[in-house]
Amino acid sequence: MSFLVPLFFAALVALGVPVLIHMIQRQRTEVIEFPSLMFVRKIPFHSLRRQRVRHWFLLLLRCAALALLVAAFARPFFQSAVLVAVTGGSREVVIMVDRSYSMGYGNRWDRALDAARDVVRDLDPDDQATLVFFDSGAQSGARSTRDRASLLAAIDRAERGADTTRYGPALELAQGIFEESDQPRLQAFLITDFQRIGVDSAASTLLPPGTVLTAVSVAEENETPNIVVAGASVQRDIFSGRERAVVTARLANRGNETVDNLQVALELSGQEFESLSVTVEANSSATLTFAPFTLEDTAMPVSVRAAADRLPDDDVFHFTVAPGDVVPVLVVGRAGATDANLYLLAALAPGSRPSFSVTVRSVDQVTTADVAAAGVVVLNDVGLPSGQIGAAIARLVESGGGLWVVLGEQVRWPEDDRGLLPGTFGEPADRDGRGGTLVVNDYSHPVFEVFSAPRSGDLTTPRFFRYRPLDVRPDTAVLARFDNGAVALAEHTVGEGRVLIWTSTIDSFWNDFALKPIYPPFVHKIVEHLAAYTPPTPYLTAGQFLDLGQYPGAAELDVLGGNLVVRDPSEDRVDVGGDGRAGFIELTDQGFYEIRDTDAADSASVMIAVNVDLAESNLERVDPQELVAAATGRAVGDRAATTERELRPEDLERRQTLWWYLLIGALGFLAGETVVSNRLSRTELDADE
Amino acid sequence: MATVSTVSPGARFIDPQVLARIGNLELVAKWVVEGFINGLHKAPYLGVSVDFAEHRAYMPGDDIRRVDWRLYARTDRYYVKQFEADTNTNFSVLFDVSKSMSFGSRGVTKIDYGRFLAACLCYISTKQRDRVGIVTFDDDIVERVPPSAKHFDVTMHTLDQMDPGRPGALGPPLYKATEFFKRRSMLVIISDFYDEPEKVLEAVKPLRFAGNDVIMFHVLDPAEVDFPYDDSSSFQDLETGRKIPVVPDKLREQYRELVQEHIQALTGLCSQNRIDYAFLNTKAPLDHALFKYLAMRHKMTKVR
Repeated sequence: MSFLVPLFFAALVALGVPVLIHMIQRQRTEVIEFPSLMFVRKIPFHSLRRQRVRHWFLLLLRCAALALLVAAFARPFFQSAVLVAVTGGSREVVIMVDRSYSMGYGNRWDRALDAARDVVRDLDPDDQATLVFFDSGAQSGARSTRDRASLLAAIDRAERGADTTRYGPALELAQGIFEESDQPRLQAFLITDFQRIGVDSAASTLLPPGTVLTAVSVAEENETPNIVVAGASVQRDIFSGRERAVVTARLANRGNETVDNLQVALELSGQEFESLSVTVEANSSATLTFAPFTLEDTAMPVSVRAAADRLPDDDVFHFTVAPGDVVPVLVVGRAGATDANLYLLAALAPGSRPSFSVTVRSVDQVTTADVAAAGVVVLNDVGLPSGQIGAAIARLVESGGGLWVVLGEQVRWPEDDRGLLPGTFGEPADRDGRGGTLVVNDYSHPVFEVFSAPRSGDLTTPRFFRYRPLDVRPDTAVLARFDNGAVALAEHTVGEGRVLIWTSTIDSFWNDFALKPIYPPFVHKIVEHLAAYTPPTPYLTAGQFLDLGQYPGAAELDVLGGNLVVRDPSEDRVDVGGDGRAGFIELTDQGFYEIRDTDAADSASVMIAVNVDLAESNLERVDPQELVAAATGRAVGDRAATTERELRPEDLERRQTLWWYLLIGALGFLAGETVVSNRLSRTELDADE
Repeated sequence: MATVSTVSPGARFIDPQVLARIGNLELVAKWVVEGFINGLHKAPYLGVSVDFAEHRAYMPGDDIRRVDWRLYARTDRYYVKQFEADTNTNFSVLFDVSKSMSFGSRGVTKIDYGRFLAACLCYISTKQRDRVGIVTFDDDIVERVPPSAKHFDVTMHTLDQMDPGRPGALGPPLYKATEFFKRRSMLVIISDFYDEPEKVLEAVKPLRFAGNDVIMFHVLDPAEVDFPYDDSSSFQDLETGRKIPVVPDKLREQYRELVQEHIQALTGLCSQNRIDYAFLNTKAPLDHALFKYLAMRHKMTKVR
């Protein structure tokens, strides 16, 4: 017999307590010094009476109770092999089934389920089993159950997912189950196609010693070619006043055989628009450009679908194409000074993501309609127009629009509308010699972020010969200064919109900035920033959680207050949001999610395309024994792997629970002691009376 | 602090706890003794000085100057006239400084009480031109100051420096002390006499048989007499270190009886051997001890 916590035996010293109680009843630890005990020694009776044990049986009862109590706390257990064999033998089984989308290759998924059923049927009555389905995460049903019917039912209900393979979460879950288990034998079954991409996640997981990990591979030896639609790009142009899009699809052949005459179709809103034929060489890729099509007013679901092969999930690529990816810009200049806008218009012309729709008006021709149609207004060397035009521009900024004020020679600003400006500017100031340079204060600002990386544009090359000094207010953010400390670019927030003020010109009159290569991206970033432009997300990846409150494409939806209904690719409807909660959607399936606010009058909807992670389409396999060796920490064929694990003392003790019987024994002795001592006390009292 | 006793009117009774606060032994002795003597100006004990004692027949070798010529004229016989106080005596204190003497339950230990007593007695003796000395002992002789008329200060110093620390035994040291007193002396033994009465007497007898006048002062603390403890405790013998669990409630009466029997036995045995014995409780004022001493001296003179 061994003990798990033998240190508790130190408490056996407590056995002396009843002895002391017998010897010196109520004796205190205080010692009284006395000159001589000559007379005390002559009185043996009362001083020595307590030193005699009068009730040996009572003493033995008390000692036995304490000894059993101490032994129970020491947690005894038998290490005898016979005893272990009698109490052991049953297994803790974890069945891990891969449900990633690569299991859809051929009939892998069906074979995996059959293999899982076989394992369940082979369980002994005393075995406990847990069914774990995993892809990039792992989920288990009832843990450590002996109910085989429920396990089989769980297998029947299982569905393949659209996520990628990661062995780590499943092995960690199994590790946790094994560590909590008190079964003498631990066995895990890993039923998967053993894709190499999932191995790295298992690097830090080690199953408990003695665990037998059985690899069940459902991958075929000879795989046929796998065609992957790797992506698609969209080129836009304007034709007859309508925006057109041209889709170019990229296809990859991850097989060793060339695929001839592969039919690839472009589907618009679920309808096939065009089908083309293409040949893709082995281990190669190809591109395919479809005919242009005209965009609709709302986001259009577009799919590029190749003829299905044995892994159909990666044969289709979904995305959305939304119109209106255009920023309307109103440039207001001085009358007759058309050259002042020359460089600005040239810089805004080549934009595609977004493109810029530029309207140029002189200050005396601009109308409120022009302002209302604009997202960003550029006041190029003119002050804020008076009257309704100025008020319209102010309203535009208040409601989220942008205003770029370019200070030139002629700018005069009305005193009443100083609130739009981040400060007050003075008369033009000249720089001598080679002129001044630009110094950026904050490269993390959206305007300058694109220039922050090395070799991403040198903003110090332009030379500035004249500018208008700007005295900014304390709450103004100065984004850039000239090398003499004067403000070059400052930002001011008004309502929901932004105002940027540039203290030099944007032509080549006061500086040579417009002649530098960084001028167009600088202008683009300023306008995009003022328009609060965020590029659309054409698709998301399966397995992600989508927070509608943070998703730019769902800005039109009332996430918190609306009654949102999601229709997933399998046409199921799920309520999200409402009752004040932000809507979270788990994108589990491949296809299009349509989100609609049923409370909204126009019932606007948002389409979200979801594609599988194409890394999963790489079917390269790992040797199952290599994974087994990594997870168990043993070489394959190691004898320890096939023998019953050596139970830890904790497990042995937990299984035998001898302490419980000792505790019961101790309580029995204490009860007996109570009865006996009461009876003895009564007897003595009677005798005294 | 003075208290009043009905036993000896006119005397000042001085609480030993008060004396304990006075560091100077000589001052204590002087204060106690002189106060005591002043209080005794009407008492009958003052005549222990130069009074006529007896006539005895002239023996060859006697100093003829001592012959009572008047008696010769009447009786035609030679008689020598003897006076009581015509000789100084040796006065020695034999002080038990064993560990048990350090016990005190009321703030005054037995050794302190004995110290005051010895100091007073020495002071009285010095006043009478006696030679004073001291022998301290535990289980052996610790200090010895031979009796001398000039040894009062040394005796006081020795009394002051006594430090009980070792277990005590009466027999060996007192037997050894017998050798110190070749001349007839007055010996005062101050001890708690923790031994069987017979053994105590066996230890004291040699001193007595050597012709000394022996006075035994048996000093005990009130706690040793009354055993006032309530709770069951472990009692440790100061000298042997031995511990015994004791239930005081159960044995108090028997203990008191044993102590009284012990005192009675000592009293009886001392009386049989013509040894003066006085039991002193340290809660009693020091004057009591002095009364007892002088009463014994007086009795001695009468017996003689």
